[in-house]
Amino acid sequence: MLEILISLLALAVGAGFIGAISGLGGGVFIVPALVIFAHMPMQVAIGASLISVVATSAGASVAFVRDGWTNLRVAMVLECATVTGAVIGAYLAGVVPTIVLELLFAAMMLQSAYFTITKKGDDILTKGDPVAERLGLGGEVPDETGQLVHYEVTRVPEGGALMVVAGLMSGLLGIGSGALKVMAMDYIMHVPLKVSSATSNFMIGVTAGAGALVFLARGDVATTIAAPVAIGVTAGALAGSRVLAHLKVESLRIVFVIILLLIAAEMGWRAMSGI
Amino acid sequence: MAKQEEDRILRVWTPILLRTILIAAMVVLVTGLVLTYTYAPGYYVERYDAVRQGHLIGKETFGLLIDHIREGNPHAILTIGLFVLTLVPLARVAFCFLLFIRERDYAYVAFTAYVLAGLIVGVLVGSVG
Repeated sequence: MLEILISLLALAVGAGFIGAISGLGGGVFIVPALVIFAHMPMQVAIGASLISVVATSAGASVAFVRDGWTNLRVAMVLECATVTGAVIGAYLAGVVPTIVLELLFAAMMLQSAYFTITKKGDDILTKGDPVAERLGLGGEVPDETGQLVHYEVTRVPEGGALMVVAGLMSGLLGIGSGALKVMAMDYIMHVPLKVSSATSNFMIGVTAGAGALVFLARGDVATTIAAPVAIGVTAGALAGSRVLAHLKVESLRIVFVIILLLIAAEMGWRAMSGI
Repeated sequence: MAKQEEDRILRVWTPILLRTILIAAMVVLVTGLVLTYTYAPGYYVERYDAVRQGHLIGKETFGLLIDHIREGNPHAILTIGLFVLTLVPLARVAFCFLLFIRERDYAYVAFTAYVLAGLIVGVLVGSVG
């Protein structure tokens, strides 16, 4: 038993660590790690990943919420969309053939790689749309000089629509869909990038939680796998977030992209060859 | 109460709530793993091999889970730990829901009620799915 536990913990700590320093979350890496290295069925890996994503989101959110980076109101509005998608996605994960899940996973890896390459700077709005202003979605963020700058939010319905897709992918594939969530907030709704990342991290807990509840209630979570994976991913994510402050993440961006492309190729190949 | 005061309460209490439940879940999970390793390592390996072949235990009622804990089955403690972990988002949304009710911020009462309902629907969908 000890060998199994050590190998699962090692995979999970590694996935949590890379997920934290890349900003993409542990789920993106733990699903392929369990499928490729531990030879777990895709559905088992997805169930274990959803549970661990809840844990890492809670752990990482604490500091971001306390320090004011998370836009709690934007999160609460958009969670309506992600929860809807996540419940539908988690239900479909039980009936969709593995080949489809593997192909979708490969596609999501490509999207994450694209996002990692094309992350853009902040485009701060001083006037939001009427819906966002009525809901008080604007906030404050420090600029390069440390001065607080007020920002407003726009195109809430369009951002919400992409959030439904993010939730769907989260429930279907056991990932946090952080890259899609940040794209929706940063590219569409003009929420500053760091606020988008912190808010996405916060929302991921609820999105993955909705999917995890479907899996748990259906009896599709293998406790034997999910328990050590949750512990390992959380430990890895905590270690990653500590190291993050001392790393030049920009120089690692190309490494993350290569890892994502390799995972996409492997999952795509598995789907096509029917492994 | 002003929006700023609502946000201040959320920023103070949400991290405390998240951290407390996360630590509780991790303590239960680590305890469950240590007990499994000590008392039922053979059962763990048997389940691990079965899961690799795609054989899950299937649905387990809450009553059955309590029976397993009474019998001293360490595997049941792991299941409880996973359930506690899923309480993290539920508790956080429920806390926001109650705060917004108290502050009569009805738009956000509606948003958080919808999310809570979605999480409960998730349990129902899983139970029948």
